[in-house]
Amino acid sequence: MNKYMVGVFNDEFDLVKAFDQVKASGNRIDEVFTPYPIHEVIVKMGKRTRISHAAFFYGVFGAASLLGFMYFASVISWPLNFGGKPTNAFPSFLVVTIVGTILIVTILTLLTFSIRAKIFPGKKADIVDLRATNDKFILVVDSNVPGFQPDKVEKLLKDNGASEVYLNVESPAKL
Amino acid sequence: MDKTYWRSLDELEDPKALRIKEAREESKQKSLLYKKSDEGDSGNSRRDFLKTLGFSLAATALISGCERPVNKAIPYLIKPEEITPGQASYYASSYFDAGDYCSVVVKVRDGRPIKIEGNELSSVSRQGTSARIQASILNLYDGARYKGPQRRSKNIKWHDADLEIVKTLNEIRQQGGRLVLLTQTVISPSAKQVIAQFLNAWPGTAWVQYDAVSASGMLTANMKSFGIRSIPDYRFDKAKVVVSFGADFLGSWLSPVEYTRRYTDARKLDAGQRDMLRHYQFEAAMSLTGSNADVRFPVKPSEEGGIVLSLYNEIAKAKGAERLNGVQSKVDVTGLAEELLENQGKSVVISGSNDENIQMLVNGINQLLGNYGQTILWEAALQTKKGTDHEMKALVADALAGKIDGLFVWGVNPVYDYPEGKKLEAAIREMKLSVSFAERQDETARACEYILPEPNYLESWNDLEPKSGFYSLAQPTVAKLFDSRNAEECLMAWTGQQGSWADYIKNRWKTEFYTRQSEYTDPEMFWNYTLQKGVFEPGDSVTGTWEASGLPAAASGLKDVQTGTEVVLYESIAIGNGKYANNPWLQELPDPVAKISWDNYASVPVAFAKEQGLENEQVITINGIELPVFVQPGQAEGTIAVALGYGREYAGKVGNGVGVNVFPHAAGQNGNRQYYLVNAKIEPVAGKTYPLALSQTHHSMEGRPIVREANLDEYLLKPDAGNEMHEEFEKKHVTLYPEKEFPAHHWGMAIDLNSCTGCGSCAIACQAENNVQVIGKEQVRNRRIMHWIRIDRYYSGEISNPDVSFQPVMCQHCSNAPCENVCPVAATPHSSEGLNQMAYNRCVGTKYCINNCPYRVRRFNWFKYVDNDKFDYNANNDLGRMVLNPDVTVRSRGVVEKCSMCVQRIQEKKQKAKLEGRMIEEGEIKTACQQSCPGNAIVFGDLNNPESRISKLFKDKRNYHLLEELHTLPSVGYLTKVRNKA
Amino acid sequence: MYNLQIRGKHIHGDKSLGRISTDIIAPIDDKTPLWWSAAFVVSLGLFGWGIYSMYITVTQGIGTWGVNNTVGWGWAIINFVWWIGIGHAGTAFSIFLLILRQTWRTAINRAAEAMTVVAVGCAALFPLLHMGRPWLFFFIFPYPNTRGPLWVNFNSPLFWDFVAISAYLLISASFWYFGMVPDFATIRDTTKSKVKKAVYGFFSFGWTGSSKQWLRFEALSFVLGGIAAVLVVSVHSIVSTDFAVSVEPGWHTTIFPPYFVVGAIFSGFAMVLTLVALMRKLYKMEDFITDSHVDAVCRVLIFISLIMGTAYLTEIFMAWYSGSTYEMYTFFRNRIFGEYAFQFWAMFICNAIIPQLFWFKSVRSRLWIVFIISILINIGMWFERFNIVVTSLSKNYIPANWASYSPTIIEIGLFVGTLGMFSAGVLLFFRYIPMIAISEIKSVSKYDKEPDLTQFLSHETQKNQAKH
Repeated sequence: MNKYMVGVFNDEFDLVKAFDQVKASGNRIDEVFTPYPIHEVIVKMGKRTRISHAAFFYGVFGAASLLGFMYFASVISWPLNFGGKPTNAFPSFLVVTIVGTILIVTILTLLTFSIRAKIFPGKKADIVDLRATNDKFILVVDSNVPGFQPDKVEKLLKDNGASEVYLNVESPAKL
Repeated sequence: MDKTYWRSLDELEDPKALRIKEAREESKQKSLLYKKSDEGDSGNSRRDFLKTLGFSLAATALISGCERPVNKAIPYLIKPEEITPGQASYYASSYFDAGDYCSVVVKVRDGRPIKIEGNELSSVSRQGTSARIQASILNLYDGARYKGPQRRSKNIKWHDADLEIVKTLNEIRQQGGRLVLLTQTVISPSAKQVIAQFLNAWPGTAWVQYDAVSASGMLTANMKSFGIRSIPDYRFDKAKVVVSFGADFLGSWLSPVEYTRRYTDARKLDAGQRDMLRHYQFEAAMSLTGSNADVRFPVKPSEEGGIVLSLYNEIAKAKGAERLNGVQSKVDVTGLAEELLENQGKSVVISGSNDENIQMLVNGINQLLGNYGQTILWEAALQTKKGTDHEMKALVADALAGKIDGLFVWGVNPVYDYPEGKKLEAAIREMKLSVSFAERQDETARACEYILPEPNYLESWNDLEPKSGFYSLAQPTVAKLFDSRNAEECLMAWTGQQGSWADYIKNRWKTEFYTRQSEYTDPEMFWNYTLQKGVFEPGDSVTGTWEASGLPAAASGLKDVQTGTEVVLYESIAIGNGKYANNPWLQELPDPVAKISWDNYASVPVAFAKEQGLENEQVITINGIELPVFVQPGQAEGTIAVALGYGREYAGKVGNGVGVNVFPHAAGQNGNRQYYLVNAKIEPVAGKTYPLALSQTHHSMEGRPIVREANLDEYLLKPDAGNEMHEEFEKKHVTLYPEKEFPAHHWGMAIDLNSCTGCGSCAIACQAENNVQVIGKEQVRNRRIMHWIRIDRYYSGEISNPDVSFQPVMCQHCSNAPCENVCPVAATPHSSEGLNQMAYNRCVGTKYCINNCPYRVRRFNWFKYVDNDKFDYNANNDLGRMVLNPDVTVRSRGVVEKCSMCVQRIQEKKQKAKLEGRMIEEGEIKTACQQSCPGNAIVFGDLNNPESRISKLFKDKRNYHLLEELHTLPSVGYLTKVRNKA
Repeated sequence: MYNLQIRGKHIHGDKSLGRISTDIIAPIDDKTPLWWSAAFVVSLGLFGWGIYSMYITVTQGIGTWGVNNTVGWGWAIINFVWWIGIGHAGTAFSIFLLILRQTWRTAINRAAEAMTVVAVGCAALFPLLHMGRPWLFFFIFPYPNTRGPLWVNFNSPLFWDFVAISAYLLISASFWYFGMVPDFATIRDTTKSKVKKAVYGFFSFGWTGSSKQWLRFEALSFVLGGIAAVLVVSVHSIVSTDFAVSVEPGWHTTIFPPYFVVGAIFSGFAMVLTLVALMRKLYKMEDFITDSHVDAVCRVLIFISLIMGTAYLTEIFMAWYSGSTYEMYTFFRNRIFGEYAFQFWAMFICNAIIPQLFWFKSVRSRLWIVFIISILINIGMWFERFNIVVTSLSKNYIPANWASYSPTIIEIGLFVGTLGMFSAGVLLFFRYIPMIAISEIKSVSKYDKEPDLTQFLSHETQKNQAKH
C-alpha cells in the first residue's frame, strides 16, 4: 500500500522553496499539483516532452503529402486546362499546402497530446487534493522509499510555509 | 390533346409506373399482415417484419426512383425509313404570315420539328431569317392553338360542320344575302385558285384582303404611276445612296430579311471592297433602320410630305422637269439632292408612309433619277402586301350596318387590330354565319360562330409566290398535332370538290408549273426535286410604264405640317402586328434599340422628358391611353413612338394583357390607314409608375474601346482606322508561361460590326438551338435574362440624334479564360479545341465565374425555370417542351450556363467527317447565330486552318478583340464598324 | 515585460486565488438572470428568421435574392467576409499579444476566442448558402470519385478559402477549448451541484493540474499558438484572394492581403471591445477587466484605424496612378462620387476618422462612448465589404452590363439570422463557460503584489510565465 506525504501551500513561492529543500534532503517528490503552471517546478521535476518535435514532423509529412497529392491530381491523374495555365501551377498549390499543413498538424498534435497526457472527454480525474485546481499548491512526497522520516519531512514542509501536511493513502481525496 | 400525339401513348402502359403501383400495394398489404400477426402468435411476426421491411424498402426504392424525370421515349415497332433516332432530318418549307416571308429548312428530330433554318437556295431570303421566323417553331407547340373544330365553343365534327355551313350558305344565297371572305394577303397561287373556285361556286361572295399594317397607299400610288398594283423589287445591293423616309426596311418594312442581306452586302468591306452604300434616314422614332443609318434626320411624320416634295423639286429643277406646288418644308435638301443626282440610277428613295401622295412623289423622284430598271425593278415585284384599306373600310361599314350575312375570317384579326374592332365584334356575333379559320386563339375567332382551325405551317402543304416568278413550297414536317384542316380544304369541301389540298397543289405543279421549266423531263421528278429544294424561280418579266400625270395632284394633296405632338405607331421587331403575342421567345426578345421586353411603351424625346420632368417608367396618357414612358435618344422633337401589336386580350396565357393595344388609333385617312396620330394630348399621370423590363440601362461606352469605329474616308486612308490600339495591345502582350497550343482545331468566330444591324435574329436562333429558357418580365427586369448571345447597343454623339452602335456579345472562349481559374469544382475547363466548356452537372453555382468574366456572358439559373408554375411558359408543359433540342442539356436550377459555340453542332459534323474519313471542310460547321444572321455578319471556323475565312478575317486590319488589353486572348474577333458619313 | 507603474494592476481589489475562482465562476453558479433569458429569447427569434430565410433560399433558389447576372455576389459574401473578419479577434488576441508578452490579455482572450468560434461559425454558413446547389457542396472535397476521378481546381481561391476556413474553425475551436480544460476542472472541484460536477467533470478531461499535465499543456499551447499565428495572417489573406485573384476593377490589387488582415483584426478588436464593455457592465467584471484593459484596446484601435485609412488612400491613389480607365471609374465615378458614395463614405468615416477620437483620454475613459465607437467601427467594416463586393461588380468593364444591386428581405433575414446566432452563442458562453481564463489570470495575479517580488523571480522565469 503506497503512502504519500502531502504538503499544502497557499503560495507559489513557498512551494518552490519547499520543493528545493525537500529534494535537497534526498526525498523523492512524487508529483506537484498547482492551479497554474509554475515553470521552476516543471523544470525541476525533470520531465521532458517532445510534442513540439512531433508537431514538426507532422508538418513535414503534411506539406509533402499535400504537395504530392496536388501534383498527382492536376498533372498526372487528370490534367485539365484552366485558363491557359500550366497544369503544374506550383504557386497556387503553395496556398493550400500552407493552410492544409496547419490543419493536419493541429489534428495530429491534438491526438498525440491527449494520448500522451492521457486526457480525453469524461476521463475520471485521480485527484490528490481537490483544492489543487483552485487556490492551493500541492506537493506530494513519496513516503515509501526506505529511510523515509515522516516527521522530518513534515517539519521541513511546515518550515517552508505549508499550511497543512497530511499522509495520504492514494486518495480518496481529502476535502 | 393527350391522345393526339405519340409522346403520351406510353403513359398507359409505362412498365415502371406499374411496378411502382404493385410495390405500393404489396407493401401496404404486408404491413397490415404484420400488424395482425403482431396481435396473434408472435412466432412468425419477426419474419413478417423483415419481409415487410424488405418490401417497403423495395417500394421506396422504386418510388424514389420515379422522382427523377421518367424518360418517355418509346422505340419504334416498325421504324419509319426517314426517321433514324438521334439523327436529324431536314425538310425545305416556307413561312409566310402577316407579310413576313421566308424560305426555310426545318430541322426534324425523331419526328419533332425543333429548329428553323434559312434556305440557302432561295434567292429571296438567302438563308437569312428574322427573329419572328426563328421563333415560329414555338408557335407550332403553342398551347393557345385550337384543338379541333368547334361551333359556339362546342366541339363539332368536320363533317357536321361542312353540312351545317353549306346549309347556311344555301339559305343565305336564297335570301340573296352577302358573303365576305376576309383574308390576309394571299400569295399562294393554288390558294388563289381555290378561292376563285369558291367565289364562283357562291356568287355574291366578296373577297377582301386585309393587312393590319398595310402598304395600301404604296400600292395605289404604284397603280397610278405604273399601272401595277404591287411593290417593286428594291436592289439595295446595287445602290450607292439610299434615302428612306420613315421606312424601317431593315426591321419591319415589307421584306426586311431580303433587304437586310442586300443592304449589308452593299456595306461590306471585308473582301477588299473599297466602296460602301450611304444611307440617309428621315424618321420620327429611332427605328432599327434609323439606328444603322449613316445620316439620320429626326422629323415629324407630318413633315415628310413637304420634305419629299422639296426633294422632288430640287431634282426636277436639275433635270429640267416642272416643279410642283404643295406644302413647303423648312428642311434644306439641296445637298441630298446633289448627292442623288450624282448617283442617278445608283440610288433608291423609299418611304414607309401609307399616304399615296407621298408614295407617288417618291416614285417621281426615283423616275427622275432613272432608278427604275437599275436599282428598282418591276420584274420580281413583291407580292406580300396586297390589302387595300378602302375595301376593308367599306367591308367594316357594311358589317356594322348589318348588310353582311356571312363572314369567313382567315388569318386576320380585325376585332383586335381594326379601329372599329369592338363594334365589328358585335356585328360578327349578329351575322347569320361567321367562320374563322384561326389556328390559335384570337379576338375575332372568339366572336365567330364556327372555328375551323387550320394547321400550323409546319403541318401543312402550301405553295407561295412572294415575288412574281419566285415560287417556294411548304410541306408538312410533322403529323398534325391537333384536329385541324387547311382553310383551302374547307373551301374546297364547300365547293363540292373531292381530294385533298396536298393533291391539289401537287397536281397543279405537275401540270402548270412543270411546263414553265425545262430542267426536268418528268413531272414527278420535277415535283420531287422542287419539293426537296423548296424553291422554284423561273422569274418574271414585267416592266412598268411611267405615268407622271398624277404628280401635281399628289403634290397639292399633301397634308400640312402639324404643330402638335405626333404619335408614331410602329411594328416592333419582335412582336410585329401581335399575331404571335403568345410566343414567349418573342415577348422576351429585347427591342434592339430600347432594350425593353415584355411591354410596349411611349418613347419620348430626351428634351421633352426634361421639360416635362418625365423619367423612365413614369406613366403618361396619350389621348387617354395610359403608357409608361421610355426616354429615347434620337426620338424626333414633338413626337412620341408606341409599338403596335401589344395589348392582346385573347392570345393565350403568355400574350394576354401584355402592353397596350394602340391599333384602334391607327385610323383611316383619305382611304388609307395612317400609322400616326397628330395633335395628340399628352398628360403625365401624377405619381403613377409602371415597371419596364430593361435589359440594358447604361448607354454610353464611357470612352472605352469596346465598339471601335471609323468613317469610310479614314478607313480608305488606313485600314486600321479606329483600331490603332490593336497593334499596341498585341505588342504589350507578355506571358509568364507558354500559351497553350490547340493541336487539332481552334474554333473561332469573327463578327463584322458593319454587317450587324442588331435585329436580334441570332438571339432567338440561339434560344431555339440551345434550349435557353424564358424567365419572364420580372426576372428580365432583375437583369437575369438568359440569352446566350446579347446585342449591346451604345449611343454616341449628341443625345437628340445619336450615332448608334450594335455589338453582339456571346462567350468569347478566351484562351486565358478568367472564369476557368476561379471555379473551385473544375466545372468549366478549356477544351483541346479552344472552347470554354461548362459541365452543368458538375457546377455547384458559386457564381465566381460570372463575377470574373469581364464580358459578363455567363448566365445563372436563379430559379428552376423548367416545370415550374411560377414560370408558366413553354417549358412548363409537355407540348411546349417538344421544341427542346435533344442534343442540348436542359439546365437545372443553380447552375451557370453560357454560349458553347454550338458544340453539339461541332461534334455532329466532326463525327460525320470521321465516318466519311475526311477532314472537316471550311464553312461546314455553322453555329445557330451565324446561320440565322440575315446580314451574314457572323463567321465561324477553324483558326488553325490558314485558308479558312475566319483566319483571313483575324488577319484583317479591322479585326480586334473585346477587352484585349486584359490578355484574355478571346477566340472571338470583331471587325470595326465603318460608317459612311458625308 | 509588464510594468506595474504604467499599466496598473491586472486585478483590482486584492483578490486571493480562491476569490478569483469564485468571482469568475459566479455567473455560472448563480441562477439565470432575467435579462439573460430575455436577450436569449430575442436572439433565438432573430435566428429563427434566419432559418426561415435559409429555408426559402434552399427550396426556391437564390433567385429570391437581389443578386443578378452582373452582380453575382451580394450580401451573402459581404456578411461572410465580415464575420470572418470579426472571427480574427480571438486568435489575434491570444497569439499576437502572447508573442508581444502582453500579460493583460489574460482577462480578455477567453471572451475573444469564444467570439471567434461563434463568428467563424456564422461566416461558414454563407459560402454554403450562396451556392446554386448547396446540396452538392461536397464536390469541393478532392475525394476519389468515379468521374475520372475528377479532382477539384487547386487554382481557385474558393478552394483555398474552403481549406483555410475549415482549418481556422478547427484550430481556433481547439485552442479555445484546451485553454478551458483547467478552468472546467476548477469548476468541477469547487461547485456544490452534482450535475455541474458531472458535466464539467466530463469536459475537464480528467484534469488534475499535475506538473506532467502542465508540461504537455504548455507545449501544446505553444505549438497551437505558433501555427495559429501563421493562420491568423494567412486565412484573411486567402479570403482576400477571392477578390485579388480576379480581373474585376477594384478587386485586382496586391494590397488586398495585408489590407484584409488588418481590417479583420480591426473589426475583431472592435467586437471584443463591444463584448468587454458588456461583460463589465452586465457581470460587474470591473475588477478583472479594468479601465487599463479598455484603454489598451482603444490604443490598438487607433493604430489599426490609421493603417486602414492609409490603405484606403493607397487604393485610391493606385487607381489614379494606374491610369486604367476601369479602375478610375470604379473608384471615382462609382465609389467616391458615384451611385455608391454613401457606402464609401460610411466606410471611410467609421473606420478611418471616428476611431481617431481614441486619441483623447476622456473618450477612452468613457465606456459608453467606447462602446458606441466599437459598434460604429463594425458598421464601417461591413460597408467596406459592401464597397468591395458590390461596387466593383456593378459597374465593370462593359457598360452595357452595368446593373445596380439591392438586397431582398430574404438576404436581410439571413444576415439578421446570423446576428441572432452570434448573440445567442455569446450569451451561452457568458452563462456556462468561465468568461475569463481563471488559471491564466491567476498566473499573472502575482505581478499585482509588491513590485520587489518581480526581482524575486529570475528573469527567465518571468518570460516563461508571461508566455503562458
